[in-house]
Amino acid sequence: MNMPLLSVLIFAPLAGAVLLIFLPKDRKDILYGAAGAASLAALGAAVLLYARFNGASAEMQFTERVSWLGGGIQYHVGVDGISLMLVVLTAFLLPIAIFSSWSSVKDRIKEYLFFMLLLETGILGVFCAVNVFLFYVFWEAMLIPMYFLIGIWGGRRRVYATTKFVLVTMFGSLLMLAAIFVLAAQYQKASGTASFNLFDFYGMSLPPQLQLWLFLAFALAFAIKVPMVPLHTWLPDAHVEAPTAGSVILAAILLKMGAYGFLRFALPLFPDAVQKLLPALAALSIAGILYGGLMALVQKDIKSLVAYSSISHMGLIMLAIFALNVESVEGAVFQMLNHGLSTGMLFLMVGVLYERAHTRTIADFGGVSKVMPVFAAFFLVAILSSLGLPGLNGFVGEFLCFYGIFGANHLWAILAVSTVILAAAYLLWMYQRVMHGPIIQDKVRFYRDMNVREIVLVVPIVILMVWMGLFPGAFLKKMDATVTRYIRSLKGQEKMFIMNRQDRAAALAHGSYPWSSTAETVPQSRIEDPSAAAAAKDIR
Amino acid sequence: MNTLATLLPLLAVAGGAIIVLLVDAFWRRPSKNPLAYLTLAFLAAAAAASVRLWDAGAEAFEGALRFDRPALLFSLFLILAASFTVLLAMRWMAQQNAAFGEFYGLLLLSLAGLMIMVSTRDLLIVFLGLEVFSVSAYALTGLKRNDERSEEAAAKYLLMGSFAAAFMVFGLALLFGAGGSFDIGLIFGAANAAGWPASALAGLGLVITGLAFKIALVPFHMWQPDVYQGAPTPVSGYFVVAPKTAGFLVLLRLMLPLGQGGAAIRYFLYAVAALTMLIGNIGALRQKNLKRLFAYSSISHAGYILVAVLALDARGMAFYLVSYLFLGLGAFAALTAMSRPGREFGELDDFAGVGFRYPWIGAIFTVILLAMAGFPPLSGFLAKFYVFSAAVRAGLVPLVLIGVLTSLISVAYYLRVIAAMYMREPDHPVDIDVENPAVLLVLFLCLYGVLQMGIFPGNILLVIRQAMSGLF
Repeated sequence: MNMPLLSVLIFAPLAGAVLLIFLPKDRKDILYGAAGAASLAALGAAVLLYARFNGASAEMQFTERVSWLGGGIQYHVGVDGISLMLVVLTAFLLPIAIFSSWSSVKDRIKEYLFFMLLLETGILGVFCAVNVFLFYVFWEAMLIPMYFLIGIWGGRRRVYATTKFVLVTMFGSLLMLAAIFVLAAQYQKASGTASFNLFDFYGMSLPPQLQLWLFLAFALAFAIKVPMVPLHTWLPDAHVEAPTAGSVILAAILLKMGAYGFLRFALPLFPDAVQKLLPALAALSIAGILYGGLMALVQKDIKSLVAYSSISHMGLIMLAIFALNVESVEGAVFQMLNHGLSTGMLFLMVGVLYERAHTRTIADFGGVSKVMPVFAAFFLVAILSSLGLPGLNGFVGEFLCFYGIFGANHLWAILAVSTVILAAAYLLWMYQRVMHGPIIQDKVRFYRDMNVREIVLVVPIVILMVWMGLFPGAFLKKMDATVTRYIRSLKGQEKMFIMNRQDRAAALAHGSYPWSSTAETVPQSRIEDPSAAAAAKDIR
Repeated sequence: MNTLATLLPLLAVAGGAIIVLLVDAFWRRPSKNPLAYLTLAFLAAAAAASVRLWDAGAEAFEGALRFDRPALLFSLFLILAASFTVLLAMRWMAQQNAAFGEFYGLLLLSLAGLMIMVSTRDLLIVFLGLEVFSVSAYALTGLKRNDERSEEAAAKYLLMGSFAAAFMVFGLALLFGAGGSFDIGLIFGAANAAGWPASALAGLGLVITGLAFKIALVPFHMWQPDVYQGAPTPVSGYFVVAPKTAGFLVLLRLMLPLGQGGAAIRYFLYAVAALTMLIGNIGALRQKNLKRLFAYSSISHAGYILVAVLALDARGMAFYLVSYLFLGLGAFAALTAMSRPGREFGELDDFAGVGFRYPWIGAIFTVILLAMAGFPPLSGFLAKFYVFSAAVRAGLVPLVLIGVLTSLISVAYYLRVIAAMYMREPDHPVDIDVENPAVLLVLFLCLYGVLQMGIFPGNILLVIRQAMSGLF
């Protein structure tokens, strides 16, 4: 294993973006060729990563660690079972998003592709970073390309929407940055060495009051991104104004960054604060489920309907995360993939329709299935996947979520089920109004059905949907060990931080190591034995 | 090492100033470019002489001038800023009917003043340097003689500057009365031992107030937007960067040895830092003219740098200053580029569509704006990161919170400029003079600085660490 697979994955799109600068700007084919090659290279790396990933281990794998700025700031990347899934999702959807813009983005193609590739690097970096500083760099850097994508190629109110998106997101992340400073200062005070390594931070024991403040700062940043009600107001604006590919990435991947942030940072770093605030967090998630669903019911614009459905679905994912058991967290991660695929595809389909109709108002349509039968079929698949039809991916994820949530709290589970009911209502009702019934407007008769390029783009998504629906075990197995240990460590049964011998020796040699007493209670073999995860699984 | 060799950096600049002024007096041709090249040669000589002193350090005039490493490092920063300014001014001054050879002489003279300021621990010499800078700065401000705004700015600058100088002199008198010396070490030694008697405290407060005028800290900033708007654009770029660079080093030298008795000063600066970050950013939010916008934004950056001073983080301060050197001058380089003979385009509306019309200028300006707003992985982010993390370690958490939240405000106004460049169709597309290789060179150097310091700052950090550990 010599090739730095993760770095290739993260920086292949960036290399493509740099290459684009030097390509002629009026040669669409060359530009798309280069951008496609770069994003497909990343996809290839992701597939290789997935194949080589050892699902039996809960450790960070494929880690690369290079000193960067000093003071504990390192280029330190790695994937575990949770981030692996999101990395693969990102690498899978980006080429699709890029090629979906072939006919809808008409001018400034070079700049458009440049920002798409930059965005991909940013997102992949977020999911792979183990160093908190590095994470923050990618987290913030990713905003810039999104800002331009919405602001230049968006709809009528694009400047307002994109500025709001950036400012609201940054409000949260700047407070998170302040919290990171405090965290690093605390670590340095406690251990005498500077570090930004996430696993070092995991081992800290912080005073409860401080934990609460820091958790609130982190949670705010991530809750805005998810978005959790009442911090969601940027989302409908951004979604409606963004170009199709922007919406796809926003809904399918960017929202997951928020949930991922909770999983990776906010919950394990501040377990006491989480326990204290759990009822409130769950209440917000449920509010999101109901609010998003009800708002989706009354939307007149298909795109904002899908946007609000995202709020509802993300509410379910967040609730499952807060249920804090193995099934619910696995369900949440699996559901993140599902939501990425189904909502991503829904936005693609809306984009296909918009290119023909130049409107997204539901009332303008009717009877579309008569002229676009192929489109109707794919659209239905996306909708069914989104509302959790057994046999497709959505069912598995939602089932796991509900099962896990039920184990945590019956009332939550009862309220959470409304996700599906509402989803069925707003999605099928929308489908009925758009696709069925008589053709009211004459121009509908002239819509062309989906062309080969559009079909080729959605077929992989459909295949994955069916595959994940029929054989979810293969996917779940990859994250089983990670999630199992994750939950155990959250519940205080096992320490999360992992160290190899040198690190540990160095820390001990440094003298002060205040939590070493608790560290000692963890069996040495558990920490260093790669089969620790397997052992953990047996316990389960 | 004899005195002459020691003084070489300063001599190259101050002597250069006089030579350039003399040559100008006999120079009959309309093109002043040879003067610019001569100036650049003197600047290069000064830089080389500074580097030569790096290892040994040196003193002159019985310790009145001390070329220690912090002094040399900051002299190099200042020389770099002056060189960029020369490059920006070469073509611009001619096009805006201000092709005066005096410009180069005055610029060198002002640089000499600032270099004196950073190379001493004697407060009287600091004052001397500050006045040498100020007098040439007043003249530089009014150099667009046929522009009323330029003249008004010069007058305003002169009045406020004299006001500040009066504060400073009075403070010096009080300090001398209390400590019997102008040497920072001696003054502070005596005052710390005596628990800072009222007269010494008042003296130090007044000296700091005088400095605060010059580096435009709130509430002593009122003059600054007008002056920066009125001054010739390249000069404004020099002004947002150079006086700050020198002034903050002096301020840090005053804060470092401050003992417990001087806590009042620290509280005072604490409040000033909070106000500076708030007022600078809020003020910038309303500006439609980009020179004014950057004037206010430079006030806000001064606030962030002041946080570093309060945290006594010499390295963070130096890193912020050198990062801001590229950002401030880069921004004004972009504004300099936005001109054609006899006309300047400085309003926000003028920037509509510029991003696609002039892709390189637009792209570099965008990167500079993003760095100013503190987006990673650019230098501005790292600068703020170092300052704020040092401040948290020093227990200045409220200031850090104000800092991060005001940088959110700054994102709003920096993005407005970017939005104008890329997301608005122009009503009247502007035609700028694109054949200005010197300005493009500055822009690319600034881009390089921003990226290098944001992503691989290792070397610069190393030099700064070497230099600033020699500070007291």
